[in-house]
Amino acid sequence: MADHNPDGDPTPRTLLRRVLDTADPRTPRRPRSARAGAQRALLETASSRRLSGQTKTIAKGRSRGARSIGRSAHVQARGHLEEQTPRTLLKNILLTAPESSILMPESVVKPVPAPQVVQPSRRESSRGSLELQLPELEPSTTLAPGLLAPGRRKQRLRLSMFQQGVDQGLPLSQEPQGNADASSLTSSLNLTFATPLQPQSVQRPGLARRPPARRAVDVGAFLRDLRDTSLAPPNIVLEDTQPFSQPTVGSPNVYHSLPCTPHTGAEDAEQAAGRRTQSSGPGLQNNSPGKPAQFLAGEAEEVDAFALGFLSTSSGVSGEDEVEPLHSGVEEAEKKMEEEGVSVSEMEATGAQGPSRAEEPEGHTQVTEAEGSQGTAEAEGPGASSGDEDASSRAASPESASSTPESLQARRHHQFPEPAPPPGAAVLSSEPAEPLLVRRPPRPRTTGPRPRQDPHKAGLSHYVKLFSFFAKMPMERKALEMVEKCLDKYFQHLCDDLEVFAAHAGRKTVKPEDLELLMRRQGLVTDQVSLHVLVERHLPLEYRQLLIPCAYSGNSVFPAQ
Amino acid sequence: MALSTIVSQKKQIKRKAPRGFLKRVFRRQKPQLRLEKSGDLLVHLNCLLFVHRLAEESRTNACESKCRVINKEHVLAAAKVKSRFLFLSKN
Repeated sequence: MADHNPDGDPTPRTLLRRVLDTADPRTPRRPRSARAGAQRALLETASSRRLSGQTKTIAKGRSRGARSIGRSAHVQARGHLEEQTPRTLLKNILLTAPESSILMPESVVKPVPAPQVVQPSRRESSRGSLELQLPELEPSTTLAPGLLAPGRRKQRLRLSMFQQGVDQGLPLSQEPQGNADASSLTSSLNLTFATPLQPQSVQRPGLARRPPARRAVDVGAFLRDLRDTSLAPPNIVLEDTQPFSQPTVGSPNVYHSLPCTPHTGAEDAEQAAGRRTQSSGPGLQNNSPGKPAQFLAGEAEEVDAFALGFLSTSSGVSGEDEVEPLHSGVEEAEKKMEEEGVSVSEMEATGAQGPSRAEEPEGHTQVTEAEGSQGTAEAEGPGASSGDEDASSRAASPESASSTPESLQARRHHQFPEPAPPPGAAVLSSEPAEPLLVRRPPRPRTTGPRPRQDPHKAGLSHYVKLFSFFAKMPMERKALEMVEKCLDKYFQHLCDDLEVFAAHAGRKTVKPEDLELLMRRQGLVTDQVSLHVLVERHLPLEYRQLLIPCAYSGNSVFPAQ
Repeated sequence: MALSTIVSQKKQIKRKAPRGFLKRVFRRQKPQLRLEKSGDLLVHLNCLLFVHRLAEESRTNACESKCRVINKEHVLAAAKVKSRFLFLSKN
C-alpha cells in the first residue's frame, strides 16, 4: 500500500513507521479508543474533504492499529509474539517490503509531523513544497479532485529540483513521470554517479538512439554500396514511405534517377558541392525563369550543405573546407529563400530543377516529386542526388516538405545531432517559412475545380451523415448521393428565400427575423411552437445561449437586443 | 461577460454546426447579401429540421415498400412530397 501513493513528502511507509514507533502500547484502552474515535472522526472529515487514498489508508491503518493496540494492551505489554493483528502485519510489511520510497531519503527526513492528525501530513507536504521553493503549487494542492495529480506534479518538480541540486550532472529532471521511481531508486540506493549513462539514456531517448558516430568508414562504405547496388528495389520500397509521392509516376522516375544517381553519387562528398552547382547551372539554363531556378539552386545548395554537414560530421573526413561551404551555402540559401518566396509557385509550375532534364512542367513536377521522395528515402547515401531531389520535392510539394525534414532526421539518426542543429535549424527555420509561402499562392495545376468542390462536399457530407442517422436504416450509396443533391438544391432555395425576405424588409443583411419567417412559412414554427422552442430542442447549449436572449446579473442581457 | 462565467469544461460540442461552411455557401450564392452573426446557427437549425423530415419521410417510404434498405426512389419520393416546403423541382 505504500507503493501506489505518491502523495506527500512522507510516504505512508514512513508515517506508519512513525505510528508504530510512537504509538504506546501501554496506554489504557479507553483513552486510546476515545482518541481513535476522535481520530476517526477527524480523519473521516479530512478524507471526505480530500479524496486522497493515502489519508484513508493511513487513517484506517492508524485507527486499526490504535484499536488493536488498545485491544491487546492489557493482554500483553509489547506486541512481539501477538496474534495476527493489523499492527503486526503492517510491521512485517514495513520490514519485508523493499525500500522503495519515491522521494529522496533526505527529503523524507525533512519535515517530521505529528503522526496523530492527518492534516499535518498534508500541511507538511505543502511545507515541503515551500521549502523547496515551489509555493505556486500550494494552492493547487487544495483542490480536492486534483490532489493526486498536483501531488504528482509537485513531486516531479521537487524531485527534479532536488536532483539538480544534488547531482548536478545527471539530467534526471526531464522525465520524472515514468522514471521517477527508477531514477529515485537508483539515486536513492546509490547516490554516486555510478550509472550516469543509464539514466541519461533513459531521460534523453533522443540521445540514446544516436550512438556516437564513429562511422567514418561506414558511411563511405555505405556510399559505395549504394552506388554499386541497384537502386530500383530500395527506391520502390522507400517510395511507399512517402505519403505524398505519386506512385503512378514512380516507375518511370526510377529509370530517370538511375542515370542521375550513379553519376552524382560517383563523386566524393567534397566534390559533390561543386559538381552540384554545375549541374544546377545547366538546370538554370534549362528553365526560362532564372529566378526560380536560382532559388532552387540556393535551395539545392542549402540542402546539399545540410547533407554535407551530416556527412562531414559523421565521416570526419573533410575538415573545415566542408564546413565553410556548408555555412556559406546555408546563408546563401536563407537569403535566397527570403527573396524568392513568391516565385515558388512559378517554380512549381515550371517544374523546378532536375538537373539536365528538359521536360514538360507537369512531368517535371511529378518527376521531381517522385525523385524527391526517393531522394529523401536515401538521404544518407548519395547526398548530392538526394539533396537535389530534396530541394525539388520540397519545392514541388509543400506537404512533402514537412515530411522530408522528418524523414531526413529519421534517416540521419545514426549521426550526431550536434552539428546538425545549426544547419538543421537554419534549414528547418527556412522550411516552415517555405510551406507557408508556398501555400499562399494557389497552385495553378490541372486540379483546378478540386478545392472548390471538396470543401463543399465535405460540408454537405455532414448533413448527409445526419440524414443517415435520422433515418435509422441502412442506406444505399445512390440514395446518399441523392440526398446530397437535395441538400444542394435546398441551400440554393434557402438563400433565394432569405434574399427575398431581406429585400422585403428593405435590408441587405439577413437577420434572424428573416430566418424565423422562413421557418414559419415552412410550417416548422407555429403559434404553438415558437422558434425558441425549436432552438432549445435541437441545438446544443452553446448555440442556444447565443441565440436566445437571457438575462444575467448586473442587469444585462446576452445576446444584446 | 455572461459567457465568461461558464467553466470551460464543455468546449467540445457534439454535433457542431459547420458555421464556416454555411457562411461560405451563403456568400457564394449571394455575395451581395450579408448574414448576421447568429444567423448561420438558425440556418443550421433549419437544415437539421429539413434533413430530419426528409429522413423520416424516406424511412416511411422504405418501410411501406417493405425494403430493409433506403433506396434512391424512396428519397426521391420523399423529396417530392416535401417539396411544398422548398419548391424543389421534381428531378
